[in-house]
Amino acid sequence: MTVPKEQLLDFYRKMVLVRRFEETVEEYSKKGYVPGFIHLGVGQEAAQVGAMASFQEGDYVLPDHRSHGVCLMVGTPVTEVLAEIFGKTTGCNKGRGGSMHIADFARGNVGNNAIQGSTLVTACGLAVASQIRRTGAVTFIFFGDGTVGRGEFHESLNLAGVWKLPIVYVLVNNGYAISTRATDAHPLEDLAEMGCAYNIPGVTVDGNDVEAVCAAVGEAAERARRGEGATIVELKTYRWQGHFSGDPASYRPEEEVRAWKERCPLKATRKKLIDRKWATAEEIAAIDAAVEKEIQEAVQFAVDSPTPTEKDAVAHVYVGREVAGK
Amino acid sequence: MRTITFKDALNEALHQEMARDDRVFVLGEDVARMGGDFGVTMGLLRKFGPDRVKDTPLSEAAILGVANGAAFCGLRPVAEIMFADFLTECYDQLVNNSAKAHYMFAGKVKCPIVVRTATGAGFRAAYHHSQNVEAWFMNVPGLTIVAPSTPYDAKGLLVGAIRDDNPILFLEHKMLYGTSGEVPEELYALPIGRAEVKRPGADVTIVASMKMVHHSLAVADELDREEEISCEVLDLRTLIPFDKETILESVARTGRVVLVNEAPKTGSLNAELAATIIEEAFDALKAPVQRVNALDCPVGFAPAIEDYVVPRPEDVARAVRAVVDY
Repeated sequence: MTVPKEQLLDFYRKMVLVRRFEETVEEYSKKGYVPGFIHLGVGQEAAQVGAMASFQEGDYVLPDHRSHGVCLMVGTPVTEVLAEIFGKTTGCNKGRGGSMHIADFARGNVGNNAIQGSTLVTACGLAVASQIRRTGAVTFIFFGDGTVGRGEFHESLNLAGVWKLPIVYVLVNNGYAISTRATDAHPLEDLAEMGCAYNIPGVTVDGNDVEAVCAAVGEAAERARRGEGATIVELKTYRWQGHFSGDPASYRPEEEVRAWKERCPLKATRKKLIDRKWATAEEIAAIDAAVEKEIQEAVQFAVDSPTPTEKDAVAHVYVGREVAGK
Repeated sequence: MRTITFKDALNEALHQEMARDDRVFVLGEDVARMGGDFGVTMGLLRKFGPDRVKDTPLSEAAILGVANGAAFCGLRPVAEIMFADFLTECYDQLVNNSAKAHYMFAGKVKCPIVVRTATGAGFRAAYHHSQNVEAWFMNVPGLTIVAPSTPYDAKGLLVGAIRDDNPILFLEHKMLYGTSGEVPEELYALPIGRAEVKRPGADVTIVASMKMVHHSLAVADELDREEEISCEVLDLRTLIPFDKETILESVARTGRVVLVNEAPKTGSLNAELAATIIEEAFDALKAPVQRVNALDCPVGFAPAIEDYVVPRPEDVARAVRAVVDY
């Protein structure tokens, strides 16, 4: 599939944004600005950007454990996402969620979660709400290959199958659950085939080809909007780094990593833009520079923002009931 | 006033609150066509239709997932988990999602769900249909645990729970479903977090909940009549957060405390109540606090075993005499 010129240029800009965002998070993590664990999506930009192209106002999305990029694609300002990861009060959850708990309810991001698979059933609830209210909204649930082993995956698919829920299951298969290969954990090469047990169609596409991702997820989203139910779209991709920032990922063969880096989604998209004569090298450089400016401004914003204080600790445990401080 | 059963009081609460508030919907295993394993949801499907009364597959995690997701969208789900013992199947959803969403997303989302479930021993239903589970959920900030003992409280507290903006675990002791009491026909809500003095007294404070309230009242009447011991019986009604003020006010007057709870002793609600009383009312105590609990055993099948393991009225009477004779 070929998308129009303007859309491919937009995809490229967004993928550069996600790439530079992740690299910046890692850089500032190493410098000591980021509390806790971070899970980076470098290498998975096409999957995130291409899939979120179908996300519309009023829809819901549940990003996965490695999806700062998805949070950005919802439209939350880069400043607010970065400040959240830095644990600052200007973050989209006032610095209380961090990298693993980024939500923006006003824009439809219902939050990622650090219990793999847990939100697969939350997706059913969002979809039921839109079904009851007949809003036509679609719920996009991102999850990794490892999550396919969780009971919630099967409970979710079973319910979505029988209730024809408007859900797009975005299965980001990067080949590994931490160190365990998908092929060692699951009995199928293409995990999307699991949908057939639940009468849910599944498609598997090259997750590093942003146009292929956009087409497959777009078709699934339209199917859901027409009331025809859920689809699994499996995006085969690869994470360049370890599971968390600092994991040397010595469990992966070097040649495998090298081969996947050759299939860099940004490089592939740049090549398409040049080959189709949709952008010159200079125009691409200008996009990169504009993104860099946005990233550096966000860094400054996050660094300069205040952190939560002790008195914030007991807020929001309950609605309308106080919890005692020290 | 009219007299109806505990089960019918709950059923009436659902009928009336669903008629008043179209955001309320019910889901669970066998709640629609059958009207619930204990008949609590009888007649709702016919009155409110399949959008608002949903039979689910045997998927407790998905039931809670649907409740959470729909609650995030502004609906007010009432989920039934047929037996409290099955809450293990959706423990993650309740503990990691329902209870924490409001806090980790900085108060920007609420999770107003009610999880109704049948708890308690006495049905000869053995290990997996008889447990008292409140202690499994007590150490989870964000969760509220409500447990009525009379038809009047059952109706009012269920309505109060549905209208509350927090996730609530609503425990229904299965031996109480058939008990009768006076219940107003009109819709009313009782406040969450308030205990009630069921019987005033001067010598001993007995703190109980659910079926144990009835054991305690019977013992209090008997000891008053036959041994001139005056017991005050408090019904907690909300287990977490419990009504500390009412307990401490009573203990300040009597100086003697018997705590009655149907769950195993170690790490039970009684342990927390005892610790609180010792911490905050030590000087008022005239005798060591006595705990009446189930033995630290599973709830066995053979009637003689079940009856021996859970607290009996004579166990309560013995504890009362112990604090009086100290």
